[in-house]
Amino acid sequence: MNCARIVRSALVLAVLVVIGGCASSEQWSDWRSHSTHFASDRHMGFSMRNNMEGTNPRVTRVDMDSAPRENWWGKVITVQPDQIFQN
Amino acid sequence: MARWVAGALFVLAVGVGAAPAPAAPPAPAEAVREKLIPLERYSTPKGQALARAHQLRLYKFSEYLWGCLPWLDVQKHSIGFQRPKGDPGDDRYFSTWILIPQAENPQFAAWPQTRRMSAMFSRYGVDLLRRMAGVHDVLSDSNVHGFSLVLSWLKPGTWRPGVQPVNESLAVFVDKATGIDYLERRIPNGDFARRIRVVGFDGQTDLGPQALDIWDDDFAATFKIPNYEPPDGVTC
Repeated sequence: MNCARIVRSALVLAVLVVIGGCASSEQWSDWRSHSTHFASDRHMGFSMRNNMEGTNPRVTRVDMDSAPRENWWGKVITVQPDQIFQN
Repeated sequence: MARWVAGALFVLAVGVGAAPAPAAPPAPAEAVREKLIPLERYSTPKGQALARAHQLRLYKFSEYLWGCLPWLDVQKHSIGFQRPKGDPGDDRYFSTWILIPQAENPQFAAWPQTRRMSAMFSRYGVDLLRRMAGVHDVLSDSNVHGFSLVLSWLKPGTWRPGVQPVNESLAVFVDKATGIDYLERRIPNGDFARRIRVVGFDGQTDLGPQALDIWDDDFAATFKIPNYEPPDGVTC
């Protein structure tokens, strides 16, 4: 009896956890439009640490590193060091 | 048995949310080290001696820039002791080259190129100079003649698909006495602008000496990213 009640409570708790983790239709649509859920392992790490409401955001340098810089359209033409300096 | 299962599920459900946040990861050594000019690149004994003597301090400075100014990038192999192209002697300047992620902005794009250079130096150059002057043991070395700063940012209108992206750049050389006097407010912006040596570049086109109009801008000194945690071991 007591044992059955514990198992039932555990099942209810498990269902609540699963429901709490369900995605909305919009989120599913977003997910379908990308080939993978996480852009990289860093993205996954960031997502695991931060909730979606943004109430506990933590931003580290590794999260930010090179994110926008890798999306440049082609190689940027920049002055060469030997135009400025001599070794 | 069932009690153990229930307990484990409860601990899992509650514990995941309540676990203490780990410290931000330390700066990756390779990302920090690649910003330094390699020792073998120096072609004179003076340059080599300076780089060797201050190797650890330069590493710490690179780590500091990486961790404390995450919105900027530092050019690979740029932190060290450079000498200006064409100079006959071997005056060595404590050097750093930063890449500024300037987004397309109609106001910025409408300014003449010299005005954009002035704005970038006022905002980022002066702040970088101040941070470089904070590296006291390098600054107090009598073989260090001054500061060299290079600032690069995307030229407006070149940040679009189908257009070749081009950086505008500014190379600035400041002798040590002028730099310190300026940072300690002993000389005004106008005098400082006249005493420094500035060369502009549009992509790889040398635009020659530039006369900057420098003004006070505390953005770079005060800007903070909300909830940003510096890497473990780095104090900003």
